[in-house]
Amino acid sequence: MINLIRRDAIIQKMLLLGFIPFVAFFIIMDSHPALTVLVACIYIPFNAFSYDEKAETNILLNSLPYTRTEIIAARYLGSIVYAVISIGIVTIAFLMFNVSFSLTDMAIGVSLFLVFSGLAFPLYYIIKQGYITTVIMIVFILSVGFLPPFLSFLADHFDEITAWIFQFSEPTLYISAAILSLIIYMISWSVTTFIYQRKAF
Amino acid sequence: MVEHVIELKNVTKTFKNFSIDSLDLKVKQGFITGFIGANGAGKSTTIKMLMNLLKPDSGEVKMFGLDYKTHEKEIKERIGFVYDRNVFYEGLNLKDIKRVVGPAYKRWDDDLFHHYVDQFELPLNKPIKTFSKGMQMKASLAIALSHQAELIIMDEPTAGLDPVFKRDLLDLLQEIMVEGNRTIFFSTHHTSDLDRIADYITFLQSGELVFNQSIHELSDTFGLVKGKTELLDRDTKQAFIHLRKTNAGFEALTSDIKQVKQIFGESVLIENPSLEDIMYYVKRGSRE
Repeated sequence: MINLIRRDAIIQKMLLLGFIPFVAFFIIMDSHPALTVLVACIYIPFNAFSYDEKAETNILLNSLPYTRTEIIAARYLGSIVYAVISIGIVTIAFLMFNVSFSLTDMAIGVSLFLVFSGLAFPLYYIIKQGYITTVIMIVFILSVGFLPPFLSFLADHFDEITAWIFQFSEPTLYISAAILSLIIYMISWSVTTFIYQRKAF
Repeated sequence: MVEHVIELKNVTKTFKNFSIDSLDLKVKQGFITGFIGANGAGKSTTIKMLMNLLKPDSGEVKMFGLDYKTHEKEIKERIGFVYDRNVFYEGLNLKDIKRVVGPAYKRWDDDLFHHYVDQFELPLNKPIKTFSKGMQMKASLAIALSHQAELIIMDEPTAGLDPVFKRDLLDLLQEIMVEGNRTIFFSTHHTSDLDRIADYITFLQSGELVFNQSIHELSDTFGLVKGKTELLDRDTKQAFIHLRKTNAGFEALTSDIKQVKQIFGESVLIENPSLEDIMYYVKRGSRE
């Protein structure tokens, strides 16, 4: 399992060099810290998919002594491992660039990462090879572009909802959001495992 | 120790325009078995089922007497695979591929790997996509041989290789058979590869097993019959799987040499057919 996770780092050796400038770009462009955390978290897992969507990769992995459950588990657990490392690097970058950020920003970024990955990962195993990147781009733009305006629209127009939500304390809200996104991620994990078990290579 | 490293029982797999129908196949441990059949006969599909890349609709696939459902990792630990195309990350060099693949196996042997890399004269630091077809195949083989696999499964390993390379490969396969009780199962449509090294031949046609016999049994079973066209009539033709008329007379394949001897006596010549002859006549015969 650890070998499967380590594999991403070996394969992406060159791409990893691009990670620092990539994060620096978002910081210099003065993006919202939550967004910077989000893009940093998805950098490695989504680059990994550009290899893993290939038929040859699946033939290789499935010919090695791994079970299909393990291959998917490595993808989901590995993404979290790489996200944690990425957050560490981003935090250092924030401190170096003197960006003010809160734990809330971090939590939002991570939650968004979990939700977005949870939605996107299964697509890699459903949609035909070649179309995936386009679809994922659309999912990403939709979820990043439309979700916040949609939420503020909701907040503006539905006083009852807002009132209901704000009766909870801030920590409760963030914790529930985090738990909810974790649940989405876990459901996505089991759905992908189910799909992958039934695939032919 | 199981006698058969591969055992398919009643395996069925149906696709839109092709199917494998209740295939039974046993591959003996300790021998080289050549897997032949025309393009589209179902060789690759069968190999994919052996590797659990594809699951049969029904029937049973057993490797080393074990089931994929409960022993997937144990089985794959003991198999070395070589496919007809490169399945390794093509942007990586061999050193990195080793770092990705090696740790997957409990019995991975780094020294052995480097021994083969030296023997095959493979560069460790060049991306695998810059390798020629033959080098890619040798790289796959080096990896397949470096974890003490008991069974080597190869899908068309000689496809696209030049004659010198091909001979090297076949010699090497014989060499690795000397050490221990390995089994090699490989598909090819170059039957000349097999005349040289195979102990057993498995012949698949349109998803059906035509035969699975030792190469010696084959020469006892099949005969290539040559004679004058005048000898042929509706009854005598029945003795043949397929018959081809030539300028000099006829040439035909039989699976019943005794019967042919009874019918024609000394008036025909019976020769040992090559595998290619057998493949050709059986294929043609099935169309009639």
